[in-house]
Amino acid sequence: MSEAANPAALRCPAPLDPTDRVQLGHGSGGRLSAQLVARHFLPHFDNPALAQLGDASIVRVAAGEVAISTDSFVVQPIEFPGGNIGSLAVHGTLNDVAMMGARAVCLTAGFVLEEGLSLAVLDRVIAAMAGAARDAGVPIVAGDTKVVERGKADGLYINTTGLGLIDPGFRPAPSRARPGDAILVTGQIARHGMAIMAAREGLSFESAITSDSASLAPLVDLLRTAAPDVHVLRDPTRGGVASALNEIAASSDVGIEIDEPALPVPEDVRAACEMLGLDPLYVANEGVMVVFVPEAQADDALGALRTHPLGAAAVRLGRVVAAHPRIVALRTALGSTRVVDVLPGDQLPRIC
Amino acid sequence: MCLGIPGKILSIRDDAGLMMGVVDFGGVRRDVCLQYVADEVQVGDYVIVHVGFAITVVDEEEARRTFEMLREMSQLDELDWMREVAEESLKRTEPAP
Amino acid sequence: MKYLSEYRDADIARTLIARIRARATRCWTLMEVCGGQTHTIVRQGLDELLEGAVEMIHGPGCPVCVTPLEQIDKALAIAARPEVIFTSFGDMLRVPGSECDLQQVRARGGNVKVVYSPLDALALAQRHPDKQVVFFAVGFETTAPANAMAVHRARALGVTNFTVLVSHVTVPPAITAILEAPDNRVQGFLAAGHVCAVMGYTEYEPIAEKYKVPIVVTGFEPVDILEGISLAVHQLEEGRHAVENQYVRSVRRAGTEPARALVSQVFELADRQWRGIGEIPMSGLQLREEFAEFDAERRFGVAGMTVTEPAACRAGDVLTGRIKPPQCAAFGTACTPERPLGAPMVSTEGACSAYHNLARYRTAGAAS
Repeated sequence: MSEAANPAALRCPAPLDPTDRVQLGHGSGGRLSAQLVARHFLPHFDNPALAQLGDASIVRVAAGEVAISTDSFVVQPIEFPGGNIGSLAVHGTLNDVAMMGARAVCLTAGFVLEEGLSLAVLDRVIAAMAGAARDAGVPIVAGDTKVVERGKADGLYINTTGLGLIDPGFRPAPSRARPGDAILVTGQIARHGMAIMAAREGLSFESAITSDSASLAPLVDLLRTAAPDVHVLRDPTRGGVASALNEIAASSDVGIEIDEPALPVPEDVRAACEMLGLDPLYVANEGVMVVFVPEAQADDALGALRTHPLGAAAVRLGRVVAAHPRIVALRTALGSTRVVDVLPGDQLPRIC
Repeated sequence: MCLGIPGKILSIRDDAGLMMGVVDFGGVRRDVCLQYVADEVQVGDYVIVHVGFAITVVDEEEARRTFEMLREMSQLDELDWMREVAEESLKRTEPAP
Repeated sequence: MKYLSEYRDADIARTLIARIRARATRCWTLMEVCGGQTHTIVRQGLDELLEGAVEMIHGPGCPVCVTPLEQIDKALAIAARPEVIFTSFGDMLRVPGSECDLQQVRARGGNVKVVYSPLDALALAQRHPDKQVVFFAVGFETTAPANAMAVHRARALGVTNFTVLVSHVTVPPAITAILEAPDNRVQGFLAAGHVCAVMGYTEYEPIAEKYKVPIVVTGFEPVDILEGISLAVHQLEEGRHAVENQYVRSVRRAGTEPARALVSQVFELADRQWRGIGEIPMSGLQLREEFAEFDAERRFGVAGMTVTEPAACRAGDVLTGRIKPPQCAAFGTACTPERPLGAPMVSTEGACSAYHNLARYRTAGAAS
């Protein structure tokens, strides 16, 4: 990767027999490290910048402002229906860049591997990352690998950083929501969080729920032309739609109203939430965004989103109001109103 | 207490003397202990499940009957039943206890 | 979801609301004693929609809320031990003990796991024979059959590394205690639907008769609760005080006999502390002597622990309807959802948490 591979600086004896697991030696910078890079990372991430294997990679970007975002991924389990920590790490960072209206140029990927991690699992994670990056047309140009002792890393942790070029004509930001804006959601919610729950020990249920992990860049590109006055874009990851809306209400100092019957939740996701006593509003999403757009462009925005498979289920969720600033209010089907607050911590399955 | 949801029994088996079943809740399936309703259930029945146990069988006939009553009531011309209720109240000259 | 979603029908719900409003000639005070029902009432704003016709007091129906402080402290002590895997329903993790909560014990290295069912905890014990698996057996009568089966099964399978920390409470003594209070304002009750699915509802008949209050066995969805309230209001308007069953699709008068039988085999009635309320005689369940080997309190030597509750927390007065949360001096100041003093602020459907939420909205001038 970006570290120089120097066989002369061998600090630990390279074992003669290949194993199927990550060893501490893989992180030492010696022959094993070089092997790991050559056999497992480079074949998938191959691109001109990375192939230089310099201490840093050189990329050319056009003049202007850049958006830069970094995120670390520690999801358990590492593999889940609809993806793995690798595809998630690429989608997540690409989405953070896209939420600023920027066009992603390149990604970096840093790995902390736990001694004992199966190399077959690592290969699947890397393949998924490479696939996600390739589908998005964004190369992974720099990376790093460290190995820690057994018990110190839950399998593996990944950090990705993304760089994107700001589009001067399209600059959504969390502080730009205004009274009168329509709030849209681009797809069905709560799928990722419940897919993860289903795969966790102790909560044992079977379902066909899959994570919605995906790059939202294609949807953002559609909005660029169809609704250039979009005020805010946000992908509601941890904490769900509820947390994202609360953050935006606070950043923009506005009130938000959403309509409970409008929330698009797939039937099996709703059933899983019922079983565990969870509220879909607080469950994580990885392939959905909320869009704040002036009412005048709301229908155009919806129309554009619906032309793409990722946005086929896009609907209106609510509106921005001047009343009750910084508070997100939900109107029930019965016409009553309640506040959707931020939770102090993670939402917990309940029995009562 | 409380979080019990209705699900449909898809299959039944004996697990070392304990009656277990796979129950479907609107597309999500889970293993459920059916021991407490063992004498009453067969595949296709609906049960109320709380923390992995069926605590009672859903009486589908009763459910249908009472829900129909509710639905009819809500579809009646509002004026009709409100008049009924008003007439009922007028008949009572004593205040409620 | 069949037998669930249709009971959320907004048209039927609105009709029931209108019917209740039309029937009530005065404002009636009712109490539900079930966390699930409180949850629906608060989330659907049913008390807002019935204002003037019905006042709902949220009773001590959340077993999380009423688990006594000393049981939480026992749980924390056990969970901190290195040889223990402490398993629990999710709701218990943030309930504050005297010093901290289970989530913090986990942060400090305790092995604390959320499980969905007590059978999952038993399976964990079988998978980790080198560890002591403890299950926090909290709940009303609805959960007792599950916990009884876990203990019964552990014995049948010869599992020796599985114990339960019991904190079970029963509903009828709580209703009686509320009715006996000299300043009681409650005129009718909604009885917890799933408690009655297990136990039946014959226990409530002598209570309705003695105290002359209607008691309606009610389900959990908005249509169920509104229908239950409607039946109660009709009784009150007509001067009746009977036990009625709204939740006919799931509840029969005799309940589920095999469940009650196993509960009686494994547990016996005992006096119980209710957090914030005090001791209610014969209102709890404890393991029978012949199942003592499954009692975590004995295995870990915490049986004698007693604790005094902080004076500032008025959970008991809130849970019995004596005060509304904003009337507590600590409300919103020393006690908030981020730093709760007592369980009604921890639990998302606890009365204090619900008020805290709504209060911010109303002060911010929601009328628009």
